Amino acid sequence: MNTQPQDLHASKSSLSRRNFLKGSAGLVVAFTIVDPRMAFAAAGGDGVSVASPASSKLSAWLAINPDNTATLFTGKVETGTGVETALAQIAAEELEFPVDRLEVVMGTTSKTVDQGPTYGSMSVRYAGPQIRNAAAAARQALLDMAAEHFKLPAQQLVAREGTVSVIGAPANTISFGELVAGKQLDIDIEASGTGFGLQVAPKAPVKDPSTYAVIGQSVRRKDIPGKVTGQFTYIQDVKIDGMIHGRVVRPYGVGAELVSVDESGLKDIPGFVQVVRRGNFLGVVAETEWAAIQAAEKLGSTLHPEGPQSAQAKWGEWTGLPQQDEIWDTLRKTTGTNESVAAKGSVDMALPFAAKTIQATYQTPFQMHGSIGPSCAIADVRPDGATFWAGTQMPHQMRADMAKMLGLPEDRIEVIWHEASGAYGRNGLEHVIPDAALLSQAVGRPVRVQWMRWDEHGWEPKGPPIVQDLTGALDENGNVVAWRHHMWVPTTGDTRLVAVELAGLPEIGGEGTGNASITYAYNFDNADVACHGMGRVGLLTAWLRSPAQFETTYAMEAFIDELAAEAKQDPLTFRLKYLNDQRAIDVLRAAAEAYGWESRPSPAPQQDGKMATGRGIAWVNRDDVRVATIAEVTVDRESGEIRVKRVVVAHDCGLVVNPDGLRNQIEGNIIQSISRTLHEEVTFDTSRVTSLDWEGYPILRFEEIPDQIDMVFVNNRPEYPSYGGGEPSTCPTAAVISNAVYDAVGVRLRQTPFRPERVKAAMSQTG
Amino acid sequence: MADSITLNVNGQDHTVQADPDSMLLYALRNDLGLHGPKFGCGLGQCGACTVIIDGAATRSCVTPVSAVQGNKIVTLEGLGTIDSPHPLQQAFIDEQAAQCGYCINGMIMTAKAFLNENPDPSRDDIKQALNENLCRCGTHMRIVRAVERAAKGGQG
Repeated sequence: MNTQPQDLHASKSSLSRRNFLKGSAGLVVAFTIVDPRMAFAAAGGDGVSVASPASSKLSAWLAINPDNTATLFTGKVETGTGVETALAQIAAEELEFPVDRLEVVMGTTSKTVDQGPTYGSMSVRYAGPQIRNAAAAARQALLDMAAEHFKLPAQQLVAREGTVSVIGAPANTISFGELVAGKQLDIDIEASGTGFGLQVAPKAPVKDPSTYAVIGQSVRRKDIPGKVTGQFTYIQDVKIDGMIHGRVVRPYGVGAELVSVDESGLKDIPGFVQVVRRGNFLGVVAETEWAAIQAAEKLGSTLHPEGPQSAQAKWGEWTGLPQQDEIWDTLRKTTGTNESVAAKGSVDMALPFAAKTIQATYQTPFQMHGSIGPSCAIADVRPDGATFWAGTQMPHQMRADMAKMLGLPEDRIEVIWHEASGAYGRNGLEHVIPDAALLSQAVGRPVRVQWMRWDEHGWEPKGPPIVQDLTGALDENGNVVAWRHHMWVPTTGDTRLVAVELAGLPEIGGEGTGNASITYAYNFDNADVACHGMGRVGLLTAWLRSPAQFETTYAMEAFIDELAAEAKQDPLTFRLKYLNDQRAIDVLRAAAEAYGWESRPSPAPQQDGKMATGRGIAWVNRDDVRVATIAEVTVDRESGEIRVKRVVVAHDCGLVVNPDGLRNQIEGNIIQSISRTLHEEVTFDTSRVTSLDWEGYPILRFEEIPDQIDMVFVNNRPEYPSYGGGEPSTCPTAAVISNAVYDAVGVRLRQTPFRPERVKAAMSQTG
Repeated sequence: MADSITLNVNGQDHTVQADPDSMLLYALRNDLGLHGPKFGCGLGQCGACTVIIDGAATRSCVTPVSAVQGNKIVTLEGLGTIDSPHPLQQAFIDEQAAQCGYCINGMIMTAKAFLNENPDPSRDDIKQALNENLCRCGTHMRIVRAVERAAKGGQG
């Protein structure tokens, strides 16, 4: 390992990175207002590459500054889950550096290595070890430098809190900043592979996890002080000198053709610049944001346009969407793939001998991410390069996508990343980038585009509707003798870009095929679990928190409750009988203990009065994380209103990096998934989405939140790896609430959302 | 159509050139560079754009700029800074009451106006006061605790 840092000015590495490191003291301030000439210089205007740094260089991961602060560079991005702080803790731990003096630069393609997109609860799990090893390599390099400084063997030195001291002579101390002396850590640490599979510094001397002092601490999040004072720069807040404003005007119908655009009156709007039309892609550009909004409104960008011809942009009639109330039949009729998840014994041969067979169908609708801040990006497209300011969860992938769309080499494109309003998956943040690109390309200036609320509700990729048929059979002793679970799942990974499709440009991304996203873990003698996967059905669909597994866990864990009730057995005991997975058993038992679970079958004994109370349990194995959730709910028999009063979550994601950060994330998952269970359904007619605001797509409000959410962390020990805690705790909630409602009032809810009218209807049917 | 409009924001007068029918939010964000208030829906439904006008929590995305000349407008920036946060902002830091944080401006400004009128609220009072503000990350429990903490400190 070469441990001699080269002088910055002699370095042959990219100009932009060098400038960045030189100027890093002013970094935070410089983020707010960016001089476009600087951006031009940084984005290859002079033929200078803005490629990502080489993952095998230590300088790609860490910089030590003369004032003894440090910077961690990561291709991962913060999406509100606290991963910035968690990754900083991992780096600080190995570097032996104070975490509060370690800044984190995330996502920007010219400054960070591609560690894969930030999704699937995979940041701490996969990027964590990459950063851990890079930081351990840095610590070793600093010890080697100090050895030269003190003229002593490295074994006689110790690194601690950003300094190196001579063991036994603590007065002989030098800071990391003094050791590095303003130079770049141009040291080869070896790396192989890419993205999630990237292996960094395989020989680095990582610490024994049992000695961890920073990992495992509830370090306060780095971003919160700025966020609560208005000093934080979200992507929606970025301003570039010379920037003007764009808005998109989407087709009235999803697949409608643009017939004509009447531009009369637009020039009367002060600051109006021009209409941009490419195929069915339509947008406006203006000097001010207000003027862009006014111009777009004239063309038809309003909450509820009256029809395809009601505004100055005229669209053809298009009615190609399925009927909303027939969407589940549509799924069953759609061709696709067949994937077997579990096949054991023979369900068909077992059924005729069963004492009791029950069947049920579970239906879940299109749902949306529903970010509070509509998607936003700025594009500066030039003939020989392009710069984007974006909040995407995959900046490096978007650089590749934009290179393809614009016909430019990737090393002439820079994506400068800023945090956005939470996305919870693939929302509009990727799609607004090509919107901005097409507008900037047309006017030759940097253009900022923010979607209007109806653009986001209408055009963000949705989570798909799913229909699931289940059959279960019991013998005369109430044992499960057969289990069948078939599901119809449209794609949760359609990565084609709206603007590219509208403009009729060559396809970027792909449609994808739905998959089961389920871990079947029961050991029934006869089981048949299969998924019919499809492409796009109706609306554009992509990943939404715990894609498809929120829905498939609902069906699996509610239906096993149906079997337990049929067998008149306690739902927890019934599950445990059929589980071998020790971690699953452990979280179920931990949740039951924390809740004070009493063994009895559901439903609860008859309750008199208007309000009935029930309890429900469910669990999930999502990507090696085990979560068991128990909730107590009340059902108002008169109104049909469900309230979740108390929730207990037992969570095993291995070693927890930041306990309070994980609690924050789990609370969020629980509340968001209660919202999805009780309230959320995208509505649409055969032309378009019709739930275009928060009245059409209500989400959970403060008066509906639980009184209490308790958590137990299982297997939070140094000998376990850290799996991802981002989304697994979303999965059990719908089943938990359905099971609790059954426990309370004896009614089984098999279709989300559980709105009061649906609950009342179900109660009246069972009398 | 652009007029000279004088706005009193965070204790200072500012003159902006704006269409009188344009909304206050855009003047605050784009002309005055105050990024605390956020564009969320433009429909007055979510609360991300909330500012305090003459003591009342107000949705700046649906408030025409011409309607608030001469009124006292306070934004999130008018409460405190990272180095010197207002006690209510400090309570949000102490409770770690944010995830993405995009809604937090509205939560703090709504709570500020509420606590000025109700310095000793119950938990249910706080939930009711925030019921028209939307949070998508699910940070509600912490937001309620933060407002409670500030109220208990007597410094809402």
